[in-house]
This record gives sequence, structure tokens and C-alpha cells, in this order.
Amino acid sequence: MDQFTQLTVDALTLGSVYALIALGYTLVYGVLKLLNFAHGDVFMVGSFIGFGVLQELGGTSNPVVPVWALLVIVTFAAMAGCAALGVVIERFAYRPLRDAPRIAPLISALGVSFFLSNSMQLLFGADPRNYNTFDLSNGALYLKGFDIGNVRVPLLRIITIVSAFVLMIFLWFLVNRTRTGKAMRATSFDREAAAMMGINIDRVIVFTFVLGSALAGAAGVLFALRVPTTVSIGFVSGLKGFTAAVIGGIGSIPGAMAGGLILGFAESYTQGYVSTKWSDLVVFTILIAFMIFRPQGLLGRADIRKV
Amino acid sequence: MKKAIGLALAVLAATVVAASAQGGQQVSTQAAAGVSCSGTLKIAFLTPLTGGAGFLGNEQGSWAKYAVKTLAPAMGLKVQLVMGDTPVEQGAAVAQTLAQKYVGDKKVVGIIGPSTSGAAVAATQTFFQAGLAHISPSATKTDLTKSDPSTNGGKLEGTPAFFRDVPGDYIQGPTDARFMINTLHVKKVVIMDFQEPYSTGLASAVDRTLKAAGVATSRLSASNTTTDYSAFVTKVPSDADIVFFPTQKPGDAQTFAQQLLEQGKKAKVFGGDGSNDSSQFKVPGSYVSNFAPDITGFKADAKIIAGWKKDNPGKAVGSFGPPSYGAVQIMLTAIKKACVADHGVIKARHDVLRQMKKVKISNWILGGKFAFSTKSNDPLNAKFYIFQIQSNGSYKLVG
Repeated sequence: MDQFTQLTVDALTLGSVYALIALGYTLVYGVLKLLNFAHGDVFMVGSFIGFGVLQELGGTSNPVVPVWALLVIVTFAAMAGCAALGVVIERFAYRPLRDAPRIAPLISALGVSFFLSNSMQLLFGADPRNYNTFDLSNGALYLKGFDIGNVRVPLLRIITIVSAFVLMIFLWFLVNRTRTGKAMRATSFDREAAAMMGINIDRVIVFTFVLGSALAGAAGVLFALRVPTTVSIGFVSGLKGFTAAVIGGIGSIPGAMAGGLILGFAESYTQGYVSTKWSDLVVFTILIAFMIFRPQGLLGRADIRKV
Repeated sequence: MKKAIGLALAVLAATVVAASAQGGQQVSTQAAAGVSCSGTLKIAFLTPLTGGAGFLGNEQGSWAKYAVKTLAPAMGLKVQLVMGDTPVEQGAAVAQTLAQKYVGDKKVVGIIGPSTSGAAVAATQTFFQAGLAHISPSATKTDLTKSDPSTNGGKLEGTPAFFRDVPGDYIQGPTDARFMINTLHVKKVVIMDFQEPYSTGLASAVDRTLKAAGVATSRLSASNTTTDYSAFVTKVPSDADIVFFPTQKPGDAQTFAQQLLEQGKKAKVFGGDGSNDSSQFKVPGSYVSNFAPDITGFKADAKIIAGWKKDNPGKAVGSFGPPSYGAVQIMLTAIKKACVADHGVIKARHDVLRQMKKVKISNWILGGKFAFSTKSNDPLNAKFYIFQIQSNGSYKLVG
């Protein structure tokens, strides 16, 4: 039972980060029908921005602000930085190709991905960056928390899971309960019709990139609070986020959340109950199974066209 | 008809490309013939400059550059060091590609590296066929130089062209295991590997010695791209004494040690030479082993250290750099010997290879004297050292 509880906590931590990444993929795909393969690298940049801001604030061994403020500032700085990066990417890499064949922005996305990872490496080198959150308050984020049976749920995991869910709820509210969200949904449904109804499509698309990239920035920090980040981390994390988005139904916001969590549970339970060697195999087998039997994903809509 | 013409053109183009590549290869294996020792010679260094083990290659590269800069002129040689990046995450293909590239460059007369065992296994045949001697300052997999019954069916994976100036896992594995048995008095040990040659070989070597001493062991295996070890930590029994963690990414050892504490497990992490980096792996109480001692206490090395520090301001002396300096010193000595034997012209790359075993260095950077073993291309009388991480993050020699 303890193992099950521990694996569930692991799965929620992992899954909530995957869900945040998946949301970025799904938002952009929903509005632009573009697979933004640079999204994983935006996530990586977010983790580096967080690291830089953390160092500016004295690092984890000698922070100049209280721990809670430190975590909030670092997260919001990464979100803001990534949002700005998202705007730049959309403006220079995707907007000029908006009316081009769909393969063109896809290739551009791959180009942006390589550009980001390589330029980050040129600027900051290849060394892993460790937030060293263990040094904060003498390891309190790891050693304090609450117990479920014999399993300790440390503060850092609670922070990760709760932050991710708060952001997901915020996003759901924004998309479903605000005028901007309504404009996003209208643009996603029919871009031309939305434009004719007076919606500023450019603004909606830029806002979508801002939102998706900000979530990637938050995910980058939540991820790097627990494990070291490198300039190459974007590829694997991006791939997992993309898989989560596809499983959940790319274009569907609740689907991305569900997909992320499913991926987290699949990985964690496979490692715990089957074999630690097989987790990626199981994850990508699930992806293939979805592609074959339910290509629209768990909560996505089937693409029905009139002929 | 058009399709047929297209197909024919494609086949023709492919044939031309293949033929030209083959031609290049043929030329390249013979190309070193007649390279003048008075001109600029090249040695190439294959090491991970990027990725999770990028710290390793950058540290090694800085020492190799310093060695070339200071030692080559003293030997009357003009040598250019070229660096090739072999990120551990990208597997063997990169090392193979780079090996072919350097074989194709007629001025390359010696290779430093590959630094990691996986890359060394991948590249050694290509170098051997071209007669290129290559010496690794950190690839420790046993069967690169001697047969290991536990891996590859006991078949040797290295070639006679592969050398190393650090001892292999046939010493590291038993040294680490004996320390666990005799000093730490362990009863239960979890052994991890990362599904690549370095960690699987070392994990097996440790496992064998522990089992022979009656210690209960269990194995866990993670992919080399794993970043979050929570699920692995969950599988560590609460009464395990040690988790042997032979990663090539010290940051991962740090993560694992933190996650052990997070889940309230008492086991300590014991890393191999790949996790020996005090700037990244610093959870107090953990252990690491390494093939090199801390050379900062050696009086004989004071001048070298001072010179290296001048070239690398703000950098600390790590344990991976000095063996790279040593590897360059060995390679340059072999090149110089070949130049003397061939009267100022290296007639073939084999000539450098033939001189490698004869190299002897009296003031070895890692202490004492250096010579190769007569039985294998390993250093004679080398040993591993064990360090424990202290509460201030420093590494203290304990075994």
C-alpha cells in the first residue's frame, strides 16, 4: 500500500508538469493547427530563466527574500520571460508562414527548437544547472510535509502539484469564462469567420503563444526545482508533453490535463510495478494505441470533413 | 519512362557518392604516410562537451589544451588539438561519425579519448583499422582492454589501438565493493545501471564482488535520459545500506540522493568516477570513487597547476582534468618517438601506435611513475580512491 501511495504521489508530480507542457502544445494547435515543436525548448529556457533569477536573489544557500517569495518570483519571472519569447517566436518564425502549406511552419518549428537549444548552449554552456532547493531552509522542502500512512509527501511535491493545478484551473477559467477565451475558442473553431465577426486574430494568436509559453516557463521552474536542468532537457520533456497532448486529444484543454496525468501515472506505475526499464516503452505504446484506435485522443473531437 | 530514368539517376548518384566515400576512406587510412614532423600535426580529442556529461569534456579539454600548449613545444613539435563532441545522450553514432572524420584527416596522428566507455567501444574498431592510437583519460569499462566474463560474452570490445592512463572497472568495481563490505559493513545494496556500457559493466563488477561476500543485492535499471528518479527511489528497500549509482551525470547522483532523503530512506548513494564532481554532487554522507587522487597536494605538480589556473581563471582543479593532461603527455611522447625513429617523418600512423607501449614517464601528474602494463593497455599499478562527501560539500579521501 505504501508503495502504491508513493507511486501515486510521484505520478501526480510528474503528470502535473507534463500536463502544463501539454497545454502549451494543445493551445497553439487548437488555434493555429500548428505543432509547435519549439515548445519543449521554451520549457528549457524557462528553467534557465528561473535559475538565473534565483542566482540574482542570492541562490538557495543565501536568499535575500523569504523562501515563499523566492519561489513565487522565480516562477513568475520564468513565465514572463517565456511569454516574451513566445511572442518573438510567433512574430518571426510562424506569422510569416501563416498562410503557407502546413509543412512550412512545422519545419520552422523544428528550426526554432534547434536554434533555441544551440544558442542557449553557446550563451550558457553545457553544464547542468541545479537549483539546489535542498539547501533552502536546511532541506525543509524535502524533509517537511505530511504523511499518508508511512509515506511522506514533502513540501516541494505539494508545491509542484498544487501550483500546476492552480495554473490549469486558471487557464480553464480564462478560456471558458472570459471574452478573450471566447475569442480564442472562436478562432480555433473557424479563423475566417471569427475575423469577420470582428475578432482581432493576430492578437488572439499572440495571446495564445503568451499563455502557452508562460505555462511552459512555469513547468520549467517546477521541473527544475526537483531535478537539474540542461540545455538538452527540452527535447525529452517536449516529447513527453507532446505525447500527453496527443493522448488527451490535441486541441482539447481538459484533454491535455488528462493526458499529462495519464502519462505520469503510466510512467510511475510501470516503473514501480513492472520494470524501471519499460516505462518509456509503455508510454509510447499507449501513444501508438491511441493513434491506431482513437486518433482524436481521449477528449479530442474527430476531424470530420464534408466531401 | 520518366520514373525509370529518375530511378537510374538516383542509383547512379548513390553509387557515385558511395564510391567517393569509399575512395576517401581508402585514401584516409594511408594518408598519414609521410607526414612531416616539422609541420603542424593534429591530435583529436573525443569527449562529451555538451549534455549531462559536458562538465567532464570541458574539464578534460582545458587540461588537454594546456598540455599541448606547454609540452609540444618542449618536445620540438607543432601540434594542433581538435575537439570532437560526443554527448552521452546521443549514443554511439556520434563517436563513429567523428572517428571516420578524424581518420579522414591525414594530419591527425593520434587520438585522445573517447572519454566515455560507450563512445570508446563505438569508435575503437575504426581507429584500429586506420592504425590510429587512441588513449582515453576516463573510459573505464573493463573489456576495452581485457576480457570480462560478465559482459559481451567475455569477448574483448577494445582493440590493440586502445589505451588508457586510468585503471578500469576491473579495479574500480572490486575496490568500491570491498570498501562497502570491509568499511561500511553493508548487508543490503541496491545497484543501478543506466543501460549503457560504462554503468552496466561497473554495476556488474560491483555486484559480483558483493554477492561473493554474501551481501544481498538487487538491480535497478534506468534509461540514460531519466531525469526524475522518484519511482526508482520508491523501489529502494527501507533497510538498504547503499545505492550504487554509476552515472556519468553527477547532477543525477545529487537528485537521487535528495530523493532518497525526501522519501525517508536511510541508504547512502555511492557513485563511481562518473559522479565525481564536487560542484554538482554534494549530499553529505554520500560516497564517490575515482581513478585520480587530488593532485593539488603534490609538490611536483605545483607548476603545472599554477600554469593551468592562469589559463583557466576561476576554475577549480577537478579529478578528470589531470589524467587528460597525462594522456596528451603520453601521446606526444609516442609521436616524438615515432618522429625520431622515422627520421623526422611519420611514415604511417602505425608508427605512433607502435611507440605507445614503450612510453614511460618519470614525473607522472597523478604521482609516481607511469608505464603501461605488459599484459594489457592499462596503466601499471594504478588504483582507485574513495571519497566521502562532507557537510561543507568537500570530498574527503576515506579509502
